[in-house]
Amino acid sequence: MARPWQATVRSALRLFRSELGLIFRRPRTVAMLAVVAVVPVLFGAAIRVFGDDGEAILVQVAGNGLALGFVAFTFMVPLILPVVVAVVAGDAVAGEAGLGTLRHLLTAPAGRTRLLGVKFAGMSVFALATSLIIMVAALLTGLVLFPVGPVTLLSGSTVPLVEGLLRIGLVALYVTLGMIALGTLALAVSVFTDTSIGAVVTTVVLVLVSQILTVIPQLDAISPYLLTSWFQRFDGALREPLATGDMGQGVLAFAAYIAIFGSLAWARFTSRDVTS
Amino acid sequence: MSTRARAVRWGVPAAAVLVVAGAIGAGPVIAAVQGDPQLPELTAEQLIGEVSAKWSGTGTMPPMSGTIVETASLGIPGLPAAPVGTSPLALLSGSHELKVWYGSADRFRIAIPGAMSEQNVIYNGGQAWWWDSAANTATKIKLPVDDPAPAPLPTAVTPPDAARQALAMAESDTAISVGNDATVAGRAAYELVLAPKAAESLVRDVRVAIDGETLVPLRVQVFAEGAAEPAFEVGFDSITFAEPAPENFTFTPPPGAKVTEGDLPAFTQAQPQMPAGDVAVTGSGWTSVVTLPFDAAALKDNPILAAAKPVEGGRVITTKLVSALLTDDGRLLAGAVTPETLEKAAG
Repeated sequence: MARPWQATVRSALRLFRSELGLIFRRPRTVAMLAVVAVVPVLFGAAIRVFGDDGEAILVQVAGNGLALGFVAFTFMVPLILPVVVAVVAGDAVAGEAGLGTLRHLLTAPAGRTRLLGVKFAGMSVFALATSLIIMVAALLTGLVLFPVGPVTLLSGSTVPLVEGLLRIGLVALYVTLGMIALGTLALAVSVFTDTSIGAVVTTVVLVLVSQILTVIPQLDAISPYLLTSWFQRFDGALREPLATGDMGQGVLAFAAYIAIFGSLAWARFTSRDVTS
Repeated sequence: MSTRARAVRWGVPAAAVLVVAGAIGAGPVIAAVQGDPQLPELTAEQLIGEVSAKWSGTGTMPPMSGTIVETASLGIPGLPAAPVGTSPLALLSGSHELKVWYGSADRFRIAIPGAMSEQNVIYNGGQAWWWDSAANTATKIKLPVDDPAPAPLPTAVTPPDAARQALAMAESDTAISVGNDATVAGRAAYELVLAPKAAESLVRDVRVAIDGETLVPLRVQVFAEGAAEPAFEVGFDSITFAEPAPENFTFTPPPGAKVTEGDLPAFTQAQPQMPAGDVAVTGSGWTSVVTLPFDAAALKDNPILAAAKPVEGGRVITTKLVSALLTDDGRLLAGAVTPETLEKAAG
């Protein structure tokens, strides 16, 4: 097809916009985003109403609202975020296949690569949106309910407010990348099945199993290869000096997952017979 | 689509897996291709001479920062596989990481990172702080007047300390040799091998890797008899010989933290109480056996005791490096020797 590249970009953008509309206009997406936004508010309200109970991490929140951002990520990264991302990513291709709309989207093999790219981009935007919503909800709640000031890091040093905000932003970006890696895995599963619920459950079960494997000390040797063991490494943003080594390794692990599962999804999606 | 075109497509994920596997395996492969580093040949005596000349007199540690990893697999029966916290017991199994920043003898920082927590010892010009983020406490450590440095922490056995201890043990009963040059934390290092001569010792050898350039001990490994992997290892995972940034050595208790004054809390309290009574040492060097009175009833519910093997006249606990014999007449014999040696010593 000898089309000028502008036209290709324009049609890809059109597809991307319609994909974003598909994701974000769904009632279930709105409901999930609402849950994600409410959890940090509940954390803040609970600490405000019931006190910090002497728990160091909660004492921090009571002393400085910005710490609520870190607390929210700490509690949501292990399960809530992976489930939410798995629902959207697992549904991306299998959902269309299940509804019978995938056939209409595919006209040429070249179009399949583009369609998968758009699905990946849509899932990534959703992952970024969830992280940002958690961050903003937590910061606003912290701002309203608690005093705000310089931030105490895990290393015991105190950084000014602006640097504290930048570090929370770094946490949000790191978590986003981790969730995109997980979403890519879910997208790959989604390409292999026609039932979206199957893809979602498979991904969530994989997350749970890998978290159980991380806890078993005899299996310490495999934990660096598991995706979930890198999720919590965002705490490197709270050390002085920044634990760039740890977080960099995490980013490399996420990139490896994205490359492997992204290419698996592509190979399957561009070579399979689409019948539904 | 033709079968061939399909095969080509599946080649892409296969290639991705290969690239990732290659990136993971590249380090060891590059190390293997490069082979052992080549340092000027030294005999064991020359090496020890140079090291002691460097460290016994006015020699000082160069400014540096790095990560120390301690790994122990002593094979102690009944010990929980992953004890949490920083108690000395926790160091007997699993792997632990420390970060160190060293400016000079009166300026250093040691950090123990945990999941969403960190513990720090910061020592600067006669002032020492202990910061525990999980407990949100900053402790100003009381220092003994005549000894300015804080007591060495069990967790903070730095390679130089460990090397000094190993060298102190090197007596007439030790075969000392220089092994193949090793690469530790990316640096070429001499390897001093200390092997006990006595057959009843459980230790095969102790290997001390000494940096070829600065003569800083980089790693100490203890190998048990007949084991390919070290039973205990402490060494640098990464090291940079450069003055660390000054802000590493400053500490002001953060607002909201509990500030107290006292000893190092976690460690001093956890130190086991030595039983009162006569402690006797028989044998010498590697095969020393310590005998002390011991009331087994005090440890009744201890899982380590439950895993002990009954023998004639008592119970035996064996690990890769240490054996202990609890006799029925209330004595505890322990040493880095075979259980039979302990039974003989018990009489």
